[in-house]
Amino acid sequence: MKKWLIRSLGLVACLLGFLGVMLPNHTAQAAEKTYQIGTDVTYPPFEFANDQNKYVGIDIDIMNAVAKEEGFKVNIKPLGFNAAVQALEASQIDGVIAGMTITPARQAKFDFGTPYYKTGVVMAVKKDSNIKGFSQLKGKKVALKTGTAAATYANSIKDKYGFQTVTFDDSNNMYEDVTTGNSVACFEDQPVMQYGVAQGLDLKIVTKPANNGNYGFAVQKGKNKALLAKFNAGFKKIKANGTYDKIVQKYLGTSSTTSSASTKKNPKVADKTFTIGTDVTFPPFEFANDQNQYVGIDIDLLNAIAENQGFKVDVKPLGFNAAVQALDSGQIDGVIAGMSITNERKAKFDFSSPYFQSGVVMAVAKDSKVTKLTQLKGKKVAVKTGTAGADYANSIKAKYGFKTVTFDDSNNMYQDVETGNSVACFEDSPVMRYGIQQGTKLKIVTGPAEKGDYGFAVKKGVNADLLAAFNTGLANLKANGQYDKITAKYLGKDEQSATAKAKPAATQDTENRSFVGLIKQNKGALWDGFKETIWLTIVSIFFATIFGIVVGLLGAAPSKFGKGVSSTLIYIFRGMPLLVLALFIYTGIPSLTGSKIPAFIAGVVTLTLNEGAYTAAFVKGGIEAVDSGQMEAARSLGLPYGKSMRKVILPQGIRIMIPSFINQFIITLKDTSILSIIGLLELTQTGKIIIARNLEGFKVWTIVAFIYLAVITLLTWLSNWVQRRMDA
Amino acid sequence: MTSKIKVQDLKKNYGENHVLKGIDLDVQNNEVVVIIGPSGSGKSTLLRCLNRLEAPSSGSIVVDDVDISDPKADINKVRQNIGMVFQHFNLFNNLSVSENITLAPIELKGETKEQAQTQAKKLLETVGLADKFDAKVQSLSGGQQQRVAIARALAMNPDVMLFDEPTSALDPEMVGDVLGVMKDLAKQGMTMVVVTHEMGFAKEVADRVIFVDDGKILEQGKPDAIFSNPQNPRLQDFLNKVLNV
Ligand SMILES: Nc1ncnc2c1ncn2[C@@H]1O[C@H](COP(=O)(O)OP(=O)(O)OP(=O)(O)O)[C@@H](O)[C@H]1O
Ligand SMILES: [Mg+2]
Repeated sequence: MKKWLIRSLGLVACLLGFLGVMLPNHTAQAAEKTYQIGTDVTYPPFEFANDQNKYVGIDIDIMNAVAKEEGFKVNIKPLGFNAAVQALEASQIDGVIAGMTITPARQAKFDFGTPYYKTGVVMAVKKDSNIKGFSQLKGKKVALKTGTAAATYANSIKDKYGFQTVTFDDSNNMYEDVTTGNSVACFEDQPVMQYGVAQGLDLKIVTKPANNGNYGFAVQKGKNKALLAKFNAGFKKIKANGTYDKIVQKYLGTSSTTSSASTKKNPKVADKTFTIGTDVTFPPFEFANDQNQYVGIDIDLLNAIAENQGFKVDVKPLGFNAAVQALDSGQIDGVIAGMSITNERKAKFDFSSPYFQSGVVMAVAKDSKVTKLTQLKGKKVAVKTGTAGADYANSIKAKYGFKTVTFDDSNNMYQDVETGNSVACFEDSPVMRYGIQQGTKLKIVTGPAEKGDYGFAVKKGVNADLLAAFNTGLANLKANGQYDKITAKYLGKDEQSATAKAKPAATQDTENRSFVGLIKQNKGALWDGFKETIWLTIVSIFFATIFGIVVGLLGAAPSKFGKGVSSTLIYIFRGMPLLVLALFIYTGIPSLTGSKIPAFIAGVVTLTLNEGAYTAAFVKGGIEAVDSGQMEAARSLGLPYGKSMRKVILPQGIRIMIPSFINQFIITLKDTSILSIIGLLELTQTGKIIIARNLEGFKVWTIVAFIYLAVITLLTWLSNWVQRRMDA
Repeated sequence: MTSKIKVQDLKKNYGENHVLKGIDLDVQNNEVVVIIGPSGSGKSTLLRCLNRLEAPSSGSIVVDDVDISDPKADINKVRQNIGMVFQHFNLFNNLSVSENITLAPIELKGETKEQAQTQAKKLLETVGLADKFDAKVQSLSGGQQQRVAIARALAMNPDVMLFDEPTSALDPEMVGDVLGVMKDLAKQGMTMVVVTHEMGFAKEVADRVIFVDDGKILEQGKPDAIFSNPQNPRLQDFLNKVLNV
């Protein structure tokens, strides 16, 4: 689900970016004759942002050189390849230079200038590899990047040469797959590959360019003859006077030895994928919409900035605290989660320029008479952990004499006020406004206090490039109006219209809120969560059982050392709360070792250790419960320890252990829900996210509970069947 | 007659509790030795040291020229030649009667299942339980279980048999069957070390009776001498108690 979600979010951001960039162009075009040229976001060495976030590359330099020769002005816009092509078709821009291969299909729509670069697909292998040709690929794995001409080519020949393909979204991952030896080769356009090698990749190109083609500069068919003529004339000149060669040489080097000294400045964020943590539910900044897609101001901004700056993001809704911890431990690259910039946080994180100004407001139930802080004396006030609202409430609670109740989740906090458990809550004003707009039965009674700024955070001293790119992107979005669009989308243009607008509420009302309706609507998300839960359970039970049996046997063996090791392991991992163990493994270990652990693996390790410790305890107990005379009798016959164990003790012990095993399997299934804390999208986390959107806590938890019960019933039946067969 | 088991200055203590305080004992080939003594005197401990179910604290135990008090000795090999019968039978609860008997021959001697089963049938016949071949252990009476246990020990063709109060856990009417099997064994020339309170058996079958008290051998000799003319006052005292009940 996640991939699909991010892809769709990317698409939305793309569209927004496209509109945002395009709209002002009409006026610009009318004012003076500057040609608007579209290009790709990141396609080194043809176009990419360098470490000052300036667009450079062969295409860009050629275009600028041609313009200079011919005395016209160009405004080059990195729209992304597809967006640029579409913009050209729609006459939004005048031309496209984007490493675009001249094909008959494209010639039907566009007029192309003189081919300016000859290209073809090459194969590269690790420097020390012996592979020289396609025939040596038989039965091997080959790495590709999605959507490239090279991938199309590789797929067209893979049956003939009998190799398999692995596809990556990112060139760097593709290269890495080859350098680590997972794949033996990769396919890429010759200049792109050559540039990568010049940049220091441990690869070498071993084939001649195949599927040759030419890159061309394109204008709309029949429209911009003048521009095309200028381009061709200028191109002829720069070819003649050596400028062209200089440009190409600058990026590709003439040979592999004279490579990179001058071009070492490669784009720092371009084409990289950053993992960004965010909150599970902090509308309007992040939340799952009714298609269970993550949206919100934070998400939209981040995607738009990523698009603008040409990097990729993998957004993980971990929950605020988990995200902050994950950032601190280096599990993720950044956090955007409606996080206020505070001095305390600045000690650990580097913040971007503020992207949103907020302030804390107090809200009370609709029918409440409380309007002032002074009326809170002796009452309870709800806050959400780690928020600026909570800090503010805590700072004034002594003065106004109220008590605070802390929640992990905004909805629970609102509900506490709605039900009258607490008289008020403190929350950032946009959050509160959005909540009320969505139907939370509260009203805001104070003006914003403690005005503060939200910032995007990276770990202190790490990922400075990402931060710089974020800042540049943010400035660009503010300049081109995209920023305003995004905030207006969630908050309305001003406060009045925001609160008055009932549109989102209306669409909510059309949702079917019956059990059947809820299941229908969320079946995709629930199914994915269910699969994740089952998968986690199966993998964890498998490893926990092996771990438990080994440790249990060790504990029952006559060796003192084995006994010691066994009881220490049981002591530690049975004694540690599962939640603490999960957080320790997911965020603590990376802080110690410096390498990340995927959440799924961290989850499996957690369950293996914890459930395995319980398993070990009853395996040991089961063996010890077998009469010691059985072992003595076996040994007195001359049977060695291991044989006696296998033939006599274990068959009797396992009978004793079986009910405990079944019990442990059921507990493991249930304990997977705790792993929602490290952001695993299993059934419980899925439930939380759905409820965060539709506030149907009772119904959704009922559905989730039934799913768990159904699985546990199946598991129990299965175990009973196994037990009956063993007893027979 | 050559010495089958030679025990020299055997001591065994559990922490501060000195259970065996220096035992010297020679068991000859084909000899039947009966050990008697009060409860807690160390009889079982002595017997269990003979096949190293208990590791001695000091002293040496040589069985067939192998010093089994040496930790490097291949104890599993030696045990194959020493059958042991326990007070509580200790039949394998997860296996049938025949499987109890055939497990060790199949696992240790590499016998095929058929070979081992043929032998098991013969052994069950000699202990009078031919019809129990496929029975479950739990379905047998105590006396039957103990006779299966003897058959299980005999299946490895041992030259020595150790018995630790084999009839103490049995109802009186079953004692005779088990003792009968043991008498037959003795007649066939099996070397036997038997801990028992069955004085009748000792008088009839034993070549030598050994009286153990407080971790030491206080008196030993032919059954006649021990029972009709005991020297040590503790032995006299002990016999008074057991024979006059
Ligand atoms: N594993 C053990 N750990 C500690 N002490 C033990 C152990 N086994 C036996 N003992 C002690 O050694 C002493 C002798 O025990 P043992 O079983 O050899 O006596 P016994 O002569 O066989 O008695 P009984 O006629 O009651 O069977 C007892 O005091 C007993 O408590
Ligand atoms: Mg005893």
